[in-house]
Amino acid sequence: MIFNSQTLPANDNVNSYAFCMDVRGEAFIQKGKMIAYYGALRFESVSAGAYDALVRQSFNSPLYANDFVVATGQGKLILGDRGNNIDSYDLEDGNLTVRSANVLGFEPSLVCQESTVPGYLTLLGTGKFLASSNGPVHFIEPPVRVDEDALLGWADMPSPSYRYDYGYMRGMFGMARSFVGGRSSGEEKQLDFTGQGAVLVQSSEMGLVGRSNLDDVIARTSSLQQNELHQLLSVIQQRLQNR
Amino acid sequence: MTAFRLENKRLLEVTLQNERVMARAGSMVAYDGQIKFDKSILGGEGLFGALKRRAGGEGMPLMSSSGTGRVYLAENAAEVVVIPLQQERIFIESSSLLAFDDGLRTNTVFAGLRGATSGQGLFTTTLEGYGQVAAISDGTAIQLEVSPHDPLFVDPDAFIGYKGDVRQEFVFDVNWKTFVGQSSGESYQLKFTGQGVVYIQPSERR
Amino acid sequence: MPEYSLINDKMLSVRIRNEEVFARRGSMIAYTGHVEFAPSSSGSEGMQGTAMRSVTGERMTLMSARGTGEVLYAFYGMHVTMISLRGETFFAESGSLLAYDGRLRSGTVFLGNQGMGGLIRGAATGSGMFTTTLEGSGELAIVSDGDAIALDVTSDRPIFADPQAYVGHRGNLRSDLVTDVGWKTFVGQSSGESYQLKFTGQGTVYIQAAERGGNR
Repeated sequence: MIFNSQTLPANDNVNSYAFCMDVRGEAFIQKGKMIAYYGALRFESVSAGAYDALVRQSFNSPLYANDFVVATGQGKLILGDRGNNIDSYDLEDGNLTVRSANVLGFEPSLVCQESTVPGYLTLLGTGKFLASSNGPVHFIEPPVRVDEDALLGWADMPSPSYRYDYGYMRGMFGMARSFVGGRSSGEEKQLDFTGQGAVLVQSSEMGLVGRSNLDDVIARTSSLQQNELHQLLSVIQQRLQNR
Repeated sequence: MTAFRLENKRLLEVTLQNERVMARAGSMVAYDGQIKFDKSILGGEGLFGALKRRAGGEGMPLMSSSGTGRVYLAENAAEVVVIPLQQERIFIESSSLLAFDDGLRTNTVFAGLRGATSGQGLFTTTLEGYGQVAAISDGTAIQLEVSPHDPLFVDPDAFIGYKGDVRQEFVFDVNWKTFVGQSSGESYQLKFTGQGVVYIQPSERR
Repeated sequence: MPEYSLINDKMLSVRIRNEEVFARRGSMIAYTGHVEFAPSSSGSEGMQGTAMRSVTGERMTLMSARGTGEVLYAFYGMHVTMISLRGETFFAESGSLLAYDGRLRSGTVFLGNQGMGGLIRGAATGSGMFTTTLEGSGELAIVSDGDAIALDVTSDRPIFADPQAYVGHRGNLRSDLVTDVGWKTFVGQSSGESYQLKFTGQGTVYIQAAERGGNR
């Protein structure tokens, strides 16, 4: 199948891993995810000021301002994300929270805000947005416990809390394996979802780690005292040694 | 002509009957029958070929498999796309090349300058003749038509190759740089005009 | 009996009712119901297999899930294949095994059958040719980089496989390590030792479309 600007789908998947946006006006897209386009399109930085009114209305996430751009004009725009699956979501006066690195684009009719859970963005209102995932997305109704690494997001629900599996941790101690500085796996620590709504799970977050998590951590260090920064430094060194 | 068949989306099966196929070195995962393996290098023959290889930094190591049997080729679980050539020429990014018929002529051509300041040249591999080419694509490859009234713009990281009467230009755009971001570092986009087909992958090159 | 089903090509669901299932550590991505997890070094295998692993330094890191509910498993976005056994033995490259339960007995064998010399070499190069065996009647799940590819082996057509692409096999097959054709040495792969796995007999070999330790 050979596509051209007429035959490419409008606001639909080209295949499981590529999505074609029919841009007429403006759309927010994640930087670096455009793979090709037909037509007259321009790309402007969110922070550049050219679309101040639009950004003020729809982009309420200063931490991620460098991760998104505004696509303007008329044309067919194809997005891809390292061969990961891409799906579009239609919100009708709803809210969906998604791992920020996986938010590929959204219509300006939606409002994009930072979630209270670090590394996640919440999309509110009515409109379409795009998210990538490692493998197809699986929807689960709560109550459910999810490994943080496989969590893509959640809809119409309160934020999750952590739950530790003490049986598993005891077993690990019994085997004389050290936890110190080590990464905890999904078997000993999960995110616990309760209430009404849906949880979105993917097969792995590996390969999807964007800069946003790092930016988030760096931004939070600005409020630390000197002795706290030293403490942080020693933790980082310990982590590095344990890698 | 050797028989190229997709055993599944990510595995190419080439059946040889006293024939030879050229493949990216290290891409073979299994074989049966009586097959002999030899070393080769991509990028044109002779002294001129060698000079161009050096200039272009190309010269991907290849493996030639000859004999009778089946060889199975794959690369990093990328999807495979088989492109038949009928007395045509394909321009292909050498890092996307998986295998090709021994009967095709290969060459390296100068594609343009990467940047006015760096002056670094860009070279592309060409394959010409009658036969088959297998390319790898991270995710399912997409074929996009270029026609005189419908030019196409492509991220260099997603570009696999093109065939037809197509002109390739490098477009330098300040906004593009902002847009593509720090990860890629490419400050240009590819613009295709003319009449033909461009192959892209839904991914940045690894 | 634990119920295995594929949610999609990269996600496995196992439903248990007061039962236990073994899976690769770190592969649980979500669960519902009342399920407890515990690390397990050996699954349902005997002492001999455990001893053999400690000799070779190869640890198959398992965990058990016990209780009543649904557990979802996935491993770094790798493809999942379900395999049903009816009184047979499945050989799985240790890193390829995702999940199984007590209906199958597990063990360890060295692939290549080259005696102590081959065993030591396999251990020294870390080539991981110690293979987990699962025997009995029941389901198991394996993971592969890209979908697993089943290649038939018949008595007149032996097959050669790259050890880095080998996932597992079943049937009446003999395996040998072959070093005569250096398909890797001359291309300068960093993988080191250049040998192939040769399978002869009647059965099925599963391979993946990538080499372990690639850049993914």
